[in-house]
Amino acid sequence: MLRITGGKIFDPANGIDGEVRELCVSDGKFAASVDGGRTIDAAGMIVFPGGVDVHTHVAGGAINFARAMTPEDHRRTQAFIRSQSRRSGLGGMAPTTFATGYLYAGMGWTTVNEAAVPVLSARHTHEELGDIPIVDKATCVLMANNEIVLDLLENGEYERAKNVVAWYIWAAKSYGVKAVNPGGVAAWKWGKDAKQLTSAIEGYSKLTPGDIVTQLAMICDDLGLPHPMHLHCNNLGAPGNISTTLDTLQHLEGHRAHIAHSQYHAYGGDDWDEMRSETVQLAEYFNTHPNITTDAGAVLFGDTVTITADGPWQHLLYKLTGRKWGNLDIENETGCGIVPYTYRPSNLVNAIQWAVGLELLLLIKNPWQVFLSTDHPNGGCFWRYPEIIQLLMCADFRNECLTKLPDKIKGRITLPELDREYTLYEIATAMSAGPARALGLHQKGNLGVGCDADIVIYEEDDDVARMFSHPRYVIKGGEIVIEDGDIRATPDGQEFIVKPSYDPGTDEFLQPLFEDCYTMAFENYPVEMERMENPDIRDCVPNS
Amino acid sequence: MPKSKFLPRGRKDRTAVLVDIRPTKSAKACDIFLQVRPGKDFELITILRALIKDQKVSEEAVAETGVSLEQCNDLVDRMKKAKFGCMFFGMGLSMTRGKHMNSAALLTLATEMNAFTKFVAMPMRGHGNVTGADVVMRWQTGYPFGITFNRGYPRYNPGEFSTVDVLVRGDTDAAFIIGADPGATMPQPAIDHLARIPTIVLDPHITHTSKLSRVHITTSVAGISAPGTAYRMDEIPLPLKPALKSPYPTDEEVVRRIKDAIAKKRFWMPEGEQMITAQI
Ligand SMILES: [Zn+2]
Repeated sequence: MLRITGGKIFDPANGIDGEVRELCVSDGKFAASVDGGRTIDAAGMIVFPGGVDVHTHVAGGAINFARAMTPEDHRRTQAFIRSQSRRSGLGGMAPTTFATGYLYAGMGWTTVNEAAVPVLSARHTHEELGDIPIVDKATCVLMANNEIVLDLLENGEYERAKNVVAWYIWAAKSYGVKAVNPGGVAAWKWGKDAKQLTSAIEGYSKLTPGDIVTQLAMICDDLGLPHPMHLHCNNLGAPGNISTTLDTLQHLEGHRAHIAHSQYHAYGGDDWDEMRSETVQLAEYFNTHPNITTDAGAVLFGDTVTITADGPWQHLLYKLTGRKWGNLDIENETGCGIVPYTYRPSNLVNAIQWAVGLELLLLIKNPWQVFLSTDHPNGGCFWRYPEIIQLLMCADFRNECLTKLPDKIKGRITLPELDREYTLYEIATAMSAGPARALGLHQKGNLGVGCDADIVIYEEDDDVARMFSHPRYVIKGGEIVIEDGDIRATPDGQEFIVKPSYDPGTDEFLQPLFEDCYTMAFENYPVEMERMENPDIRDCVPNS
Repeated sequence: MPKSKFLPRGRKDRTAVLVDIRPTKSAKACDIFLQVRPGKDFELITILRALIKDQKVSEEAVAETGVSLEQCNDLVDRMKKAKFGCMFFGMGLSMTRGKHMNSAALLTLATEMNAFTKFVAMPMRGHGNVTGADVVMRWQTGYPFGITFNRGYPRYNPGEFSTVDVLVRGDTDAAFIIGADPGATMPQPAIDHLARIPTIVLDPHITHTSKLSRVHITTSVAGISAPGTAYRMDEIPLPLKPALKSPYPTDEEVVRRIKDAIAKKRFWMPEGEQMITAQI
């Protein structure tokens, strides 16, 4: 039991904007009142719901491949030293699992969504997630390049495709559906890509990326998944891709969707020399379409490692940089590419990307629609989120940073004209309440009675970055996990999964197809429930 | 070999080329066998890298590899025409003259082939669940092997912290060996050191290492009488489902009990900082 008194509460889910109120916690959840237990005097402090990361890459084959490729970074980065109650680990560009939990919790984030899980290696992802302490986890399973699903859509078998997707979600013990470069990753198996929403995909006679976008979004809605389709659009990172992005959004008309890392999809110009920001157009779309949410995928200057299922893009990035390149192909389902990368303020393209991420966060008016993310580790590491908060809250600081960009950037970005500054209430929305709602996790990002007692308490400080990097207390499920920078407890988090209903004949339909094409036995493919550590099955509300 | 939409005839739609220093059993299973001279792998790979980019190579240089220019050109032609090429490499490359330079050359060839068609390269792993150990070590420590925790956090340096080096230097005063038999493969000074110090072995079988150990705990066999996960060499996790019951405990159970017993002892590290912000 716990009582927090005297703090200024920022709880956007309940419309509370900085009022001094008391919070009571009992059995890991908020309660109307408690008797006894510890009291935290939070006078002069700021109280937020724990942060929720709607899009990150912290576990599974791809990030683990990135770890293998970057020992030089592990060698220089921060190290967590083991104790009797705490495991050791390394931070840096691709932190190890135990360190991932400590670093997220250390800055007040208590729920994360691992945004890209292949079914075939989902068992691996869950084993890693089980080794990430403190935070709760959800996952999205990769579906937009799965050859069995694509064949069904090509043949117009929507109902069966819906059943198969539901089967896959449960087989992967996943929470939602991720679509990455629909059709493009399948084409990459041939060394090709898919850049036009309305052209047939390599290897198919009529199926287009646009068809996949619309039908997968519909499937997610019809299955009643708590989180809508999570979409990484085609043509990521390319100058002029704004037309692809807007075209994609039009294919989503009438459906819910979450657009991942919009920053990488909001560029104008025909080539790298002509590249410019097109955030005004994209933000306008979001501002008029409340059915769609997004995360920024903001870029921060410095070293990182990029990992994405978007294999063809990573091959291009390798050719542009000449640095290390790793490629994985997952049979019949997806793939992944890995390239270490350094974003430099002196590089015009990088400078535009930096501005674009911030512009989207500032131009999309409703903080319930645009969330804090760097697409960790792609645009920057998650433990640098406080730097983004500072950029959003302090226009002066932003303007100072702008002076370090190349002169050629004039006329290519909108950022210098934007004077909006986020309020604490808006930050609490974009880092917690908003992403929790988009994920359909209504017990998260909410300080109301009955919700999970995930809380972050900051000492009020004019230095915004310092305030958000060093919370005074972090409370997870009612337990104090961080106090004054010290890790006090490392409880295991839960894993959210869903079990959408599907036709029981789906196994019989899939088995022969599977046995023809896969190198694994059908019986071994689904992740067994016994292997899940602390699973929590959330409800689906199907369209009837 | 599995069929697929694009390779409906399975094996028949695939071309397998073996490059080795002698015609092994695998040669019979392949469509083409190329016999390279021992120690000439790096040269052959470099010649292939030149040929795919239509660069001139000297006849003598080619002749020295044991493979003819005609064979090389034919191979390059087939590689470029392939829709999806995969190169597998093993210890013949990584443990002979040139060592990691050979592997690096092959990985570069695979990378460069992507200018023409889809190509990948993958190391062939040894027996057992080597890949699994590698995968778990990476997610927990960032490194695949050759790790020391002697400062309380993971550090990596193959050649210094690899098991064989630690043993040969005599830097360890106890050894705990699970499901491996270094007594059969490591150099004699390493084996001598294992015999000198308290060595504890968990193994279902009697092995060279178990014979020189102070303690051998017989455990059940993973996949036969113990559950678990094995990682395939392409890092795909396979569940192990036991078919039989065993009177012996699993490795996991033994390790857990040892860990619990150690936890009751005084902690070996002095209380100190929770974290260091930069290692150098
Ligand atoms: Zn991502």
